[in-house]
Amino acid sequence: MSAAAARIGLGAAVTVILAYLIFPVVVVLAISFSSGNFLSFPPPGFSLRWYQAIAGDPEWVSALFVTLKVGSLAALLATLLGVPAAFALVRYVIPAKALLSALILCALVTPPVVTAISTYLFFVPLGLVNTIVGLACAHAVSGMPFVVINTAASLRSADRNLERAAIIHGAPPLWAIIRITLPIVSPGIIIGAILAFVHSAHELLIATFLLGGVGKPVAVKIWSGVQATSDPTIAAASAILIGLAILTFASVAAAQSLARRRSA
Amino acid sequence: MTATAQPETAAPRAPVLTLQRMMPALLLMPCLAWISFFFLLPLALMCWRSLTAEGFSLAAYSTLFTSALYAKVMLTTVKTASIATVLALSLAYPLAYALTLSGGKLRALILVFVLIPYWVDIIVRSFSWLILLGDNGIINKMLMTLGVVHTPLELLYNPFSVLVAMVQILLPLTTVILFGAMLRIDRTLIAAAKIHGAGGWQAFRTVFFPLSLPGVYGAALLVFVLSLGFYVTPALLGSPRETMIAQTIMVEANQLLDWEQASAAGFVLLVITTLIAAIYNRYFSLDRLWGGSDA
Repeated sequence: MSAAAARIGLGAAVTVILAYLIFPVVVVLAISFSSGNFLSFPPPGFSLRWYQAIAGDPEWVSALFVTLKVGSLAALLATLLGVPAAFALVRYVIPAKALLSALILCALVTPPVVTAISTYLFFVPLGLVNTIVGLACAHAVSGMPFVVINTAASLRSADRNLERAAIIHGAPPLWAIIRITLPIVSPGIIIGAILAFVHSAHELLIATFLLGGVGKPVAVKIWSGVQATSDPTIAAASAILIGLAILTFASVAAAQSLARRRSA
Repeated sequence: MTATAQPETAAPRAPVLTLQRMMPALLLMPCLAWISFFFLLPLALMCWRSLTAEGFSLAAYSTLFTSALYAKVMLTTVKTASIATVLALSLAYPLAYALTLSGGKLRALILVFVLIPYWVDIIVRSFSWLILLGDNGIINKMLMTLGVVHTPLELLYNPFSVLVAMVQILLPLTTVILFGAMLRIDRTLIAAAKIHGAGGWQAFRTVFFPLSLPGVYGAALLVFVLSLGFYVTPALLGSPRETMIAQTIMVEANQLLDWEQASAAGFVLLVITTLIAAIYNRYFSLDRLWGGSDA
C-alpha cells in the first residue's frame, strides 16, 4: 500500500466515524426547530413552537431551575472538597497515595444503578429523599473526580517557583497559595467544576430515586418524556441541554486558551 | 538520658512540624470523609440490606445464582458490553491514530467533533437513534428510496440498535484514552524503522501497533466496565426480552420494590466492576485517566 493511499483511506474512515459521532446531535437540533407535530427527520419546516411550548410550560421551567440548583450546589461542593485533595495528592508524599486517589476516582467506574439504589437506601432514614440538597450531596461524590483530575493536572504543570519566590519575599505560605498558585491553576479548577455540573445535569438514576416525584430535574423529565410522548418538545428540551453543553464547552475552550496565554 | 534530651531540642519546632505533617491529612480529610459518608457507607448499607431478606439469609443471593432470569440477563449484559467494547475500540483506534498524525488546526477540529457528543446527554443521544432507526426514520427512508428494501427494516428494539447507540456514546471517551496512550509512544522508533527500510504500513504494523496495545488493553477494561452499567440505552432501544443487568435492578427496586434482591444484584455488579477497575488500576493506574485536560 502506498503512503498516499493509506492516508486517503484513513482520512475517509475518520470522516465516516466523525459523521456517525455527530449525526445524532445534528438530528436532535434539527427536529427541535421542526414545524411538524411528529418526530420526523428531516423536519417539514422551521419554527420555534416547541421552544415556546417549553418556555410556556411551568413544569419544564421548574425542571430547568431544579437542574441548575442541584448542579451548581454539587459543583460547588465538589470544588470545595476536591481542590484541597488535589493539592494534597500533588504536593505531598502520602502513604497509600495510589489507594487514596483510586478511592476518589472510583465513583466514576461504579455503575450508576448501584450508586442510585445504595444512595436511596441510605437517604430514606436520613430524610434526604425529595430534597435538592440531598441530590446535590450525592452528585458531589461523582463530580469530585473531575475537579481532582483537572486541578491536579494544572498543579503539576504550574511553576512552583513563583509561589516560592512570593514566600521568599515575605508572603505567608497560605497567602502565596491564594494569591499566586490558585489564580494559575484556576482554569483547571473551573473546567473541573463545569464538568461536575454537566455530570450532575445528565445524571438520571440517582435523580430518579431522590427527585423522581415532585420537582423533577430536566434529565428525569426528559427520560419520562422520551418513553411516553412523540412530539418534538423532547427534542427542544434536548436541544436546550445541547445548547448549554456547547456553551459550557466554549467556556472551557476560552478558559484553556486563557490559561495558555498566561503560561506563554 | 537521650530520651530526656530529645524533647528539649524538638520542643520549639514542634508546632510547625506537626502542622506541616498534618497538612496533607487536613487537606484530604473533608474529601475522604464526604466519600466515606455519601458513597462507601451507602454501599455498605446496600450490602447489609441484601442479606436481610427474611431475617438474615443469603436467600437473595441464592435466587441470583440459581434463577434462569439472572443467568440470561448476565449473559446478555456481558455479551452486549463485550461487543460494544470491541466496536468502540476498533472505531476509536483510527480516530486516535489520525489525531496523533495530524497537527494544529486539523487536530483541534477532529477533537471538537469527538468531544461535542461527550457533552450531550446520554438520554438525548439514545433518543436521537430512536428517531433515526425507526420505521419512518431517515435510514429506512433512504434504503427504500434507493430500492434496497421494500418494507422498512426492523432496526429498533434489538441488539443492533442498542450497540449502534452504545458505541456512539462510548466513542469519545475511548478515543481520548487511546489518544493519550498513543501520545506516550516514542515517535522516533517509527522513524528508526523507516530509516531501516520499513514501509509506512510495515512500520505501523511491526512498531506502532504493538507499542499501542497496552493502551488498547487499558481502554478495553475501562470501556467494558462502563458498558456493564448501561441503563438508558438498552431500556430505550433494546428488546424487552433481552434486558441488561442495570434494567433488571431498576425494575426490582423501582417497580417490584424488592430491595433485598435489587441490593444483592447491585452488590454482585459492584464486586465485578470493582475487580475489573482494580486490575486496571494495578496495571494502568486510574489517575492517568483523561490525563487532566487534553481538550
